[in-house]
Amino acid sequence: MADITVFVARTVRTMEPSLPVAEAIAVRDGRIVEVGTLDTMRPWLESHSHEIDDTFRDHCIMPGFVDPHLHPSMAAILLPMHFTTAVGWDLPWEDIGPVQDTEQFLARMASLDTALAPGEPLFAFGHHPIWHGPIDRSALNQISATRPIVAWHRGYHSITVNDACLRWMDLDTAAAGRHPQVDLDAGKFFETGLSVALRHLRGYLLETERFRAGLDRMRQVIHHGGHTTIGDAALGFYGFEQEWDHLQAVMENPDTPFRVQLMPFAMGPEGDERTDDEFLERVLAYPSRNTHRLRFSDHVKMFADGGFFAELLMLKPPGHLDGRHGEWMTPPERFEAVARVLWNARRRIHVHCSGDLGVELALSTLEKLQWERPRFDHRFTFEHFGISSSQQVDRMAAVGAVASVNAYYVYELAEAFAARAVGYERASQISRLGSLERAGVRFAVHSDFPMAPAKPLNNAWVAANRLTESGAVMAATERASLDAAIKAITTNAAHVLGLDEEIGSLRWGKRADFTVLEADPYEAGVEALRDIPIWGTVFEGRKFPIRDS
Amino acid sequence: MGARTPEDLVPVTVVAGYLGAGKTTLINELLADDHGRRLAVLVNDFGAVNIDVALIADHDGQTISLKNGCVCCSIADELGDALDRVLALEPAPDQIVIEASGVADPANVAVYGQGWPGCRLDGVVVLADAETVQARSRDQFVGELVVRQLRRADIVMATKCDLITEAGLAAVVDWLAETAPGAPILTRRAGQLEPELLLETAQPVDRPSRQPPHAGNGAAGAAFDSAVVEVDGTLDRDRVEAALRDWPESVLRVKGVLRFDGPAGGLHVVHGIGRRWSIEPAPDGFDSSHTGKLVVIGLPGTLHNHDLTASLNLQAQ
Repeated sequence: MADITVFVARTVRTMEPSLPVAEAIAVRDGRIVEVGTLDTMRPWLESHSHEIDDTFRDHCIMPGFVDPHLHPSMAAILLPMHFTTAVGWDLPWEDIGPVQDTEQFLARMASLDTALAPGEPLFAFGHHPIWHGPIDRSALNQISATRPIVAWHRGYHSITVNDACLRWMDLDTAAAGRHPQVDLDAGKFFETGLSVALRHLRGYLLETERFRAGLDRMRQVIHHGGHTTIGDAALGFYGFEQEWDHLQAVMENPDTPFRVQLMPFAMGPEGDERTDDEFLERVLAYPSRNTHRLRFSDHVKMFADGGFFAELLMLKPPGHLDGRHGEWMTPPERFEAVARVLWNARRRIHVHCSGDLGVELALSTLEKLQWERPRFDHRFTFEHFGISSSQQVDRMAAVGAVASVNAYYVYELAEAFAARAVGYERASQISRLGSLERAGVRFAVHSDFPMAPAKPLNNAWVAANRLTESGAVMAATERASLDAAIKAITTNAAHVLGLDEEIGSLRWGKRADFTVLEADPYEAGVEALRDIPIWGTVFEGRKFPIRDS
Repeated sequence: MGARTPEDLVPVTVVAGYLGAGKTTLINELLADDHGRRLAVLVNDFGAVNIDVALIADHDGQTISLKNGCVCCSIADELGDALDRVLALEPAPDQIVIEASGVADPANVAVYGQGWPGCRLDGVVVLADAETVQARSRDQFVGELVVRQLRRADIVMATKCDLITEAGLAAVVDWLAETAPGAPILTRRAGQLEPELLLETAQPVDRPSRQPPHAGNGAAGAAFDSAVVEVDGTLDRDRVEAALRDWPESVLRVKGVLRFDGPAGGLHVVHGIGRRWSIEPAPDGFDSSHTGKLVVIGLPGTLHNHDLTASLNLQAQ
């Protein structure tokens, strides 16, 4: 076998400013030896055995896509379920069409019931009353009198179950019926009442075989999106060691075409100053576990305010339309105390912040820490970045922050947030990117999957177009340029994860990770980004086509 | 765990308030105090589940947090898990105290008391650091939250009151009364503890008098007054509820047994703390010898037994 494999392509988009476009990439032992043309790389080819691989002669080779923020463990719970969402999902094992009214919902449930083995519980995710109307226990009893059925609400906060499920859960109905957020007649468990049902369902959902099957589906989703590196933005929701074991079992194998950068999170007991030393010791020890594909580094996750989809964001005045309030996930004083410990230990801090008050907490903390103990290239990262102001962006630039933005909010939520949550001005400027680009703040875009589809080209498309699902443009001034949108899924996404010396662009010495496209995104233009077909990926020099997998 | 009758449900008291309000200190003193109740204390978010070690030899370092926002967080419901674990203890605790996290909305924690199988809500006590609460209420990050926490209180307890002047304290108490309308305002100095107010004791505990809980009342004397209100006969539930609503804010606790008329009548157990009360049917075989008696605890010099009795007896048939 030859020492060197040379991949030739119609176009190689290196994302390297010194050599932006090339025709060939020479690879040895999973790393790039040289990028250029067959002619310019002659010194290498003349001194080493080599073979030419022209599989991609009609394709565009890009740096392998990077999504710096998603949640494999959450996906492992969700992906074994059957989707009944109003918006269709194109999943590797099934292209699920939209389910948009009551009739379609019931038909979909009936066909799922027919397809499943007798007695297997049916978990259907995606019921939403706006589209599907109210669904109650008796409606689900019509689907099946014997199979346990759980219809999970699209917003995650409630479930509706049938009689067979109540029996399967072995619920003490008299006790459960006392709960103010359980409606037994309707078979509905919501908010905290959901926990009353989940304590009977959790064992099933977290059972090893099911969870690992879910993680395996996650693996397919990641490959199909064209990723070669992802960031797991908070390992340990259900139990750190258990999740770590599952990840190793499923992800660390030769057929996984990507690596996972893991971020432990600092909240809960870790936020308590009484355990600071112990906490820090643990964070510093994580990298000693690293395997080839699963890695901890110096990046740590923190949380400011509540989630954007959950509408628990904290806002500066004038707040929410209806006067309600969000939540702090970490008390502000403790947030600062923990951030200081991490900052002084040279950790790279990523902060989940959804609203402009959450952004303000992260930003004012960073400003304070920079004053106390200045650092360069600290990569303090604003994650999600739902609502912010342009002045906050300027201050982020001043203190050297970077951002990892959920651009998809614009597509799915901007119009709903305008109408129901915060009014038009702020909603239209959700996930601002143009301001970041103008201020010179590096930014990635992420999916937060399973919150949004894990499709980097789709995220880049939203970033550069700012179109909603209905086709409205939201603050064209906050669009990312085409180049910035592509950087947001390649170089700058690698930068946010601290992997910029290893991946994110194509040049000598970097990992031979490519995403192979049927068209050159710079020629296709911003409108067409999401429609560019993906041939597959190359991970550390090995080809992983999508069609054959 | 088997089904519990209403009288078997374990009362849950939520102790809430912003960071530094003195929740942990108060609860530690409660655990150390000889009040005769077997307590389980759950610390939401930042500490350990402390089960009263003097009474139950089970002590672990499990931490709990209340998460929400998505399916995945609901699945990791640590508070529900912790409640299940303490409810499974033999014998079950007499009372569960949940120390809410400093940024929790007490209502979100209280709903566990209201609805978690095996539990009922006793009440929500919100602590406020007398020195800092007003400044905190103006803080850009937590001001709204601090005020919201106070508004959720059945009883507000100003803490660290010995650290400020009498005049300063009076101003804080006024501000608290304005901020949390309808809730009694207690004051607490170092070492001062009224388990009878925080816990559902059957009777006021017989103990030497301490500092008055309400600074505004000046002179040292009984920590609070107690009274036994006796009524005869069968009552109309709606009218009793109306009378309870009219009782003064200075009534801190009510417990007793009443008999109601009508189709949903019969023997009922009444529990009250501050502005919250519950009326639950008494289980079969309940000892009815105390029917018609309500034990009432209130701020010193404010309980006028005659008026309270009259307000209920007016309703007696």
